Amino acid sequence: MKQVVVHPERCVGCMQCMLACATSHSKSLSLFAATRETPQPKPRIHVGAGRFNEGFPNRCRHCDPAPCQSACLAGAIYRRANTGTVLINPDRCINCASCAMACPYGVIRFHEDPLGPAGHSIAVKCDNCSSRVANGLIPACVETCKSGALTYEEMDAAMRRKNRAVARSMSLDAASSAMPTGVALLKTVRQSELQLQTSALRSQGGDNA
Amino acid sequence: MKHVIVGNGIAGVHAAEAIRAIDENAQITMIGDETLLYSRPMISYVLDGSQSHKKLPIRSERFYEDLQIVPLLGNRASRVDVVQRHVAFADGTQVAYDRLLIATGADPRPLKAEGMHLGNIFYLRTENHVKQLVAALDDGFRHALVLGGGLVGFKAAYGLLKRGLSVTMLIGSGYPLSMQVDKTAGRMILDELLEHGLNVEVGVNVSAFEGNGTVRQAVTDAGRRLPCEIVVIGKGVIPARSIIPRRRIDVDLGVLVDGHLQTCEPGVFAAGDVAEMVDIARGVRWVNAIWPEAAAQGRVAGFNMAGRPVVYPGSLSRNVMRVFTLDVLTVGIANPPEKAPFRIVQRGGPSFGYYRRLVFKGDKLVGAVLINRIEQGGVLRSLIENRVPIRLPQEALLAPGFNFIQLLP
Amino acid sequence: MLDQNKELTVTQDGSRLYEKAKMDGIETVWERHEAQQPQCGFCDMGLSCRICIMGPCRVDPFGEGPQAGVCGADADIIVARNLCRMVAAGAASHSDHGRDLVEVLAGVADGTAIGYQIRDEEKLKRVAQEYGLAIDGKSTLGLAGELAQAMMEDYGMRQKAIKLVSRAPEKRRAIWEKFNLTPRGIDRETSEMMHRTHMGVDNNWQTLLLQAMRNALSDGWGGSMIATEVSDILFGVPTPRPTTVNAGVLKKDQVNIVVHGHNPVVSEMVSKACLTEDLVALAKKKGAEGINLVGVCCTGNELLMRRGIAMAGNHLMTELILSTGAVDMMIVDYQCIMPSVGKVAGCYHTKMISTSDKAQFPHMEHKEFHPDNAEQKAVEVVREAVENFANRGDVLVPVAPQKAVGGFSVETIIGALGGTPEPLVEAIKAGKIRGAVGIVGCNNPKIKHDYGHVTLTRKLIENDILVVDTGCVSVANAKAGFKLPEAADMAGPGLQEICNALGIPPVLHMGSCVDNVRILVLVSALANALGVDISDLPVAGSAPEWYSEKAVTIGTYFVASGVTTHLGPMPPITGSMNVVSLLTDGLKDVVGATFAVQPDPEKAAHFLRQTIEEKRKALGLDVRTVG
Repeated sequence: MKQVVVHPERCVGCMQCMLACATSHSKSLSLFAATRETPQPKPRIHVGAGRFNEGFPNRCRHCDPAPCQSACLAGAIYRRANTGTVLINPDRCINCASCAMACPYGVIRFHEDPLGPAGHSIAVKCDNCSSRVANGLIPACVETCKSGALTYEEMDAAMRRKNRAVARSMSLDAASSAMPTGVALLKTVRQSELQLQTSALRSQGGDNA
Repeated sequence: MKHVIVGNGIAGVHAAEAIRAIDENAQITMIGDETLLYSRPMISYVLDGSQSHKKLPIRSERFYEDLQIVPLLGNRASRVDVVQRHVAFADGTQVAYDRLLIATGADPRPLKAEGMHLGNIFYLRTENHVKQLVAALDDGFRHALVLGGGLVGFKAAYGLLKRGLSVTMLIGSGYPLSMQVDKTAGRMILDELLEHGLNVEVGVNVSAFEGNGTVRQAVTDAGRRLPCEIVVIGKGVIPARSIIPRRRIDVDLGVLVDGHLQTCEPGVFAAGDVAEMVDIARGVRWVNAIWPEAAAQGRVAGFNMAGRPVVYPGSLSRNVMRVFTLDVLTVGIANPPEKAPFRIVQRGGPSFGYYRRLVFKGDKLVGAVLINRIEQGGVLRSLIENRVPIRLPQEALLAPGFNFIQLLP
Repeated sequence: MLDQNKELTVTQDGSRLYEKAKMDGIETVWERHEAQQPQCGFCDMGLSCRICIMGPCRVDPFGEGPQAGVCGADADIIVARNLCRMVAAGAASHSDHGRDLVEVLAGVADGTAIGYQIRDEEKLKRVAQEYGLAIDGKSTLGLAGELAQAMMEDYGMRQKAIKLVSRAPEKRRAIWEKFNLTPRGIDRETSEMMHRTHMGVDNNWQTLLLQAMRNALSDGWGGSMIATEVSDILFGVPTPRPTTVNAGVLKKDQVNIVVHGHNPVVSEMVSKACLTEDLVALAKKKGAEGINLVGVCCTGNELLMRRGIAMAGNHLMTELILSTGAVDMMIVDYQCIMPSVGKVAGCYHTKMISTSDKAQFPHMEHKEFHPDNAEQKAVEVVREAVENFANRGDVLVPVAPQKAVGGFSVETIIGALGGTPEPLVEAIKAGKIRGAVGIVGCNNPKIKHDYGHVTLTRKLIENDILVVDTGCVSVANAKAGFKLPEAADMAGPGLQEICNALGIPPVLHMGSCVDNVRILVLVSALANALGVDISDLPVAGSAPEWYSEKAVTIGTYFVASGVTTHLGPMPPITGSMNVVSLLTDGLKDVVGATFAVQPDPEKAAHFLRQTIEEKRKALGLDVRTVG
């Protein structure tokens, strides 16, 4: 069974996954129209900044066991057995935020949702694009990601790829480096800039008192 | 293997489900004095009017049947005999066990005052309490008195306020939820309630109630009379330990358990509001009588009972609630001693629209108080629970947009 | 807000005013920068393209996603096109600045530019001669009119080369001819750059970059150079003057007017208006001791260079000085004025006035200045500023002003050397001065404010390298105390000796960003004195904290003129290692100079020192090992 697999080292922080996610959970299913819907659909994947301002796509891991499910007061969170997807029933949710307190990844948000009860904020999180998948599509975030940070594959296939990449990187053939030169170059410059900012060095001869 | 679970709160329910998931042949008996399987915290939502009583059940009526559990409902067990390995009822019935789970929960701490027999004086613990309380509200009463500013008292006051009553809350400290929040957050929360019409009195104790069949006024230690038609007493809970043989099983405030939720008596476990174990943030034994703890502990107890030795790292106090325009999320220690190794960082406050207070002990987070922007509070809770050494500048965690990837090596 | 542990600036006034701004609830450039994180990697690498609507496109640097835009442009082309458009925009900005000055020059000639005049007739004649104009028997105004017309020709398509290219050494001009880099017309090169980067025009990433160099040269030896020369003609050639810099130049007891932006056509008129007797009297009537005009950014630098007028700060200080509460009015024209400043001013009593028909801003009152009304409009706005003095709230001026000396035009430097560049050449030959570095450019929240500038400067002068600076750097270094004669004590022994002998500081303040052309003129003079090309000189350039498109253009014309140039922040080119390789290595074989990127100023100093020693070696001069 395929899952969304995240490769954080590939994330360039463009946030297209967020746009696609929100659009695919809208009524109109078009980006422009979606931004004008009331209530506005919101992304369930959240791209944040790491220590060196690198991008990181933060999405629900559909944990097993799911802390949110365990903590839910209203019994609104359940797992769909065939896909392992953890879902929130919008009609049972009482917006108490116990799930957010339980979630170690901070992926749950609370707002009125186009696909939920009108006029009520509810807990909203990634639903593995269940309706898209049911219609033969792949999750919206994966479809839109152009840098390979989000893939849709069997977990063993993903693990095999990773194993091969690790093995290759350990081989004596230096030509195949894990990271393209330009990416590594930019990363080094960004890290250097940030490290300079947080260093305790203070240039002497600064302004007079 | 005969498993007996005393208590059908969430700890007992999760334990039963865990046992059944591992062992389809186990015999499971569940004893409970309440007949409904429901979410106890949700009674606050029923009180404030946002949820109907019908939403309380969190398992279907077929729960026992589907999991092949023998239910003994409607009565409390009276004692446990660890030598004979059975649970006994007042009428002499005995239920034998190989493994026993004490998940009897906690009962409201009774108030010592005269006139407690009068009508419309409530504790707020069970769905029955809230059913009666809501029914009493239908009689058009206007004035409510709430004793206690802890979680129960606070939620009661909030619920009654939302229902449109005039509410007076009597609290011990200068601000409510003094176990969960610090002075600044407490002030913000108190101001929010005051703005919505709550009356608060600090340091006032009630020694008696007066009325004619139903309560009409409360009498304070100083002899003042406070008019009230509804009283809710929220002065804490005491673990329901009466069935425990004290000479055989160690009990402090709650039943003492180890990292496998086992008591000192082999084969006897405890979980939920009745259990006492190491508190991760405090570093000492504590009773954290909250729903998510009972939920998690019950499951782990069930695994251990069924032969899978899962370790439980300890309990952690935490709470989240929405109070009018404020969202409040608290974890761990809010008010540490103000000296090393403790260090507090905070940001925001009354005029900022949000507040964030983090308590560090050395390089580990041990407490958090958040007002508004609480969605990622679980990340902080996870840092506390997993005792993660924080190698970033501590202030970095104050930023609302703090992304947990920054903690990865 | 931001992580408290990140020090955002090395300056005291910056640090204290940031605290004040925070307390006042102001959102600054640093918060907005933080909120943007993570910034899109496609764009940061130059791999996104929005040039046409078959797109928008991006190329996956990891090789799995799309490797070409819809039109078929690969990473090299997309990166090159993006960089080229940055150069075009930078060139256009400076060249427009020059254009406005030429219009004033023409207006002085025909009497329509009221209040403006020719301040330096000698320079007018010199430049006119460079333009091939006969000067005998002509009235000053007549000559001015002719010069203006001739300069306008430089902007068009009727010439084979921009006139002032003749200032460059012969060898340099030969290289430009060889590689087709000689700029033909100021507007022409920008226009052709925009044309070439349209979809389906130039799809050779190398020729695209060559045109970028030609475009940049049309700015460096064209638009900017005209701007500086005409400014000198209209407002005077800068001479060394004492001045003060940092937020302490704002006075609690005076009406404070801050000019921000670039063109002296505005700031000079404001400066004049501030001296008007009845306005000064009005100020005193309102309880102020007088009218205190100060500048920020380049227009401030123009006033500092020519009049010694104080400067309150550089790019990242423009919001913060408003939080002093002491600014009664800020008058802006164009370039580098953040659209946020009007909003920041709204938290205080400060009036914000925009003056350029090309540049309007939110939360500012627009009072358009033109050559025919500038003098009178300036008096109007200064009067408003004086009236506004009464509306002050709390004032915090957190530092005392730092003294400095500015005004080092090429004429001044040559003058200080005794009339010829010889003494400097001798000092370089003897090795007392190893060489010179022009440190130029802006601030950028990606680099700790002024840390790059001040650290690099200190490391270089400690190692006997003369530093000349312009733009935001010049303010940073002045604030750091490098521009007093005593600062020679911070220099290495060789540089110290020369500075003491000549009575100059070890860091020479050469002006605004268009005044970078003064550096071109200086290195040309040195190259001619030694009979070599600019690329043979032991000189280099650096922009440790740049942010703007103009900086890309300046860096490009420096490199195209033979000056190897270091950059602090990385330009958006890492998406194409071909482009990176050409710019940081391959250009050596074309123009004899390259770019280098290094955000750490200590490492940059190391690189620049090595570069200089290598040049010395090639000239047969003594060499030091750079440890």
